[in-house]
Amino acid sequence: MAETRGGRPISASQRPTGGDKAVAGQKKQYFRRKKVCRFCVEKIDDINYKDVKMLHGFVAERGKIVPRRISGVCAPHQRRLCDAIKKARNIALLPFAASY
Amino acid sequence: MNRIYEELFIVKPDAADEEVDQYVEQLRTQLTTAGATVDKVDKWGKRKLAYRIDKYREGNYVLFQFTSQPDVVKELERRLRVSDIVLKFLTVRIDETLKRLEKRKKQRDKRAAKRAASAPAAPAPAQPSLAQMMTETPAAPMPGQPKGEA
Repeated sequence: MAETRGGRPISASQRPTGGDKAVAGQKKQYFRRKKVCRFCVEKIDDINYKDVKMLHGFVAERGKIVPRRISGVCAPHQRRLCDAIKKARNIALLPFAASY
Repeated sequence: MNRIYEELFIVKPDAADEEVDQYVEQLRTQLTTAGATVDKVDKWGKRKLAYRIDKYREGNYVLFQFTSQPDVVKELERRLRVSDIVLKFLTVRIDETLKRLEKRKKQRDKRAAKRAASAPAAPAPAQPSLAQMMTETPAAPMPGQPKGEA
């Protein structure tokens, strides 16, 4: 019993920093895998707007750019990624808004 | 100050191949006479567009890479805009990106070389500490484990 009470405050204290849904689970506290930046791990320096296949992985179904808190990309890489996606959109390699 | 540019443009899909080739050739000669050096011309061929442009669903992509003064780009863009067969174009200045990439690569290589040089010495102290961690860790997560399940 004491353990469950001990578990709660931890989740509450984590919420402001994490800002993620998984932590806010009511009773069950499950482990979240640490997200890592794909570009840092795979050592990809060049985020090119012509690499449509790669960019597709960072665009949601409707064509929106996937936020950092979901994809786990680090800030410097997300900045470049955003640039690349926007360039690709401009030249019709990626959609501004995908339609069904 | 010469800069490196990339020009990607979309040609109408119903334009004949010869017409496209002719147009590309024309652009190339125009660039060289304006004092630019064309480094690369890449025809991607027909591709589906991500969205409709002027009622076309696909387009013929052509990529130019050239080194020139900034004012040459202005003239090139004007020509592309005036042309009937070009749907859309995008100019990107890439010399700074290339420079950055080269710098990064150099850093990477340097670091890799350093690591390779110090590799014979490093593994020896690393192994025991890892083994130590393996023996130590079981004690720590034990109290945490039931907490996670409860």
